[in-house]
Amino acid sequence: MSDSLVFMMGQFEATFPTDRQYARNHMWARQQDPAYRFGFSAYAVRLLQDVYFLDWIVDPGTPLQPRQEIGSIESKKAEASLYAPIAGRLSAFNPELLDDPSAINVDTYGIGWLFEIQSPIPDLPEGDAMSGLMSAQQYIAYLDEVWVATQRTIKGQLA
Amino acid sequence: MKPEITVVVAQGPSHDPTKRTREQEIADRLSGRGDWEVLVVPHLNDLRPDAASLAALRQRTGHLIVFSWLYPRAAHWILDRHRISGQRGTTRLQLDTDGKPSDEMPSDPQQEPVERVIDIRTVPTRAIYCIDLRACTSADAVLQEVERILTETGKSASRSSVAASEGNGSRPWRSITDDTQRRWYPVIDFARCTNCMECIDFCLFGVYGLDESDTILVEQPDNCRKGCPACSRVCPENAIIFPQHKSPAIAGASSSIDGLKVDLSQLFGKPEPDQHAKQIAQQERDQQLAASANQSSSSSSTVPPSQDAPRRDTSDDTSDDLDKLINALDQFDL
Ligand code: SF4
Ligand code: SF4
Repeated sequence: MSDSLVFMMGQFEATFPTDRQYARNHMWARQQDPAYRFGFSAYAVRLLQDVYFLDWIVDPGTPLQPRQEIGSIESKKAEASLYAPIAGRLSAFNPELLDDPSAINVDTYGIGWLFEIQSPIPDLPEGDAMSGLMSAQQYIAYLDEVWVATQRTIKGQLA
Repeated sequence: MKPEITVVVAQGPSHDPTKRTREQEIADRLSGRGDWEVLVVPHLNDLRPDAASLAALRQRTGHLIVFSWLYPRAAHWILDRHRISGQRGTTRLQLDTDGKPSDEMPSDPQQEPVERVIDIRTVPTRAIYCIDLRACTSADAVLQEVERILTETGKSASRSSVAASEGNGSRPWRSITDDTQRRWYPVIDFARCTNCMECIDFCLFGVYGLDESDTILVEQPDNCRKGCPACSRVCPENAIIFPQHKSPAIAGASSSIDGLKVDLSQLFGKPEPDQHAKQIAQQERDQQLAASANQSSSSSSTVPPSQDAPRRDTSDDTSDDLDKLINALDQFDL
């Protein structure tokens, strides 16, 4: 892994390798011809902490709309539904994670990858919010924007 | 008289080590007491009708005390669907902190002029106590509660026999395994259902049907579109439970208690809630229909549920660092 950028989540240094792109729903994306491989960004993993359970509700081969619900996750700290980061055809899920999702915590940018999507439109025009992928730099700028709101969301649920 | 009580510990579906430990602890703690037997079974939601665990439970006609990682209402009506029925017992081990069982079925028929399905059905007199494992934070409290239930059901063995069997481990717990896969389907709470047929009219996937006496039933549970809890919004009595839904209200929680874990769905792309429930429901269903027509693929889902009320935002101080924030989660953690 070459270079990476850092975003400070409180005391925690979340790192983002610059050799790949990022989606607004806190997943990284890396082109592996002909598909894009996705995984959680360090930001997402920090909020989730230990992942206990991963469940997909679509089958490989399914055409996806951006933001279509594709599964759910349970971790030590949170539960969440998961949504497609881009449009395309879901081509594979990481089979290793189904029995034991802990690779997400161990190596989120490597063997902890989640799924692959074959996208018909790899480079969407900017402004197409959920469908566009960002560089690590753009993603960090985006985190700057959403960090405060994210903390509020969590607190709101704790109150 | 030999007390006929079976304690069931149903395991959770996930790899959460804290859950596994709690199941073990409770099974161990309740074993070897002589007054009841302890059965450990897989996740109730995922059992198929021909599961060995269900067959074993059907043979137990005495009182049942069922621990599971499900809301008690969900557990009760899942069992009911598998012909394991009884009167709902009220446990003191509740998630709600106010101590009052807010999910009781309507107790006073005077105040409930509407006829519910349960009123016209014969239910065995034995009691079924469903207890949410999330509320079982101490094995001592669990043991106490089981003893209290023993007394309440009037089948209590004398204290001496409890004491006599203590510690000798004469009856270790029995574990029944079944091959389970995740399942997703609705369960009807017949203490609420009025047989109004809204759900059968609404669902386009043939999930609902009628029994010989024209009472609604979930006929083809596996036809249900995973991730589409649409009909639960349509039911005027809130009688439809999706045991595996993340939203407590849909998963069978009594009142609007919050889930114990933070819901990060919005972080991962959940659309903002901006529509009325019925519209959302129709949209969900129609998109499910379109999806099933367009593809041969069997288990796909198209639309994210957006049932939740807008997030409460109680924070005015955003300067706290994340560690503090995340540590604050610990007190809600299991
Ligand atoms: S809509 Fe609700 S009350 Fe009406 S029949 Fe269906 S489950 Fe029962
Ligand atoms: S959730 Fe959808 S598919 Fe399932 S029973 Fe309800 S309306 Fe039918």
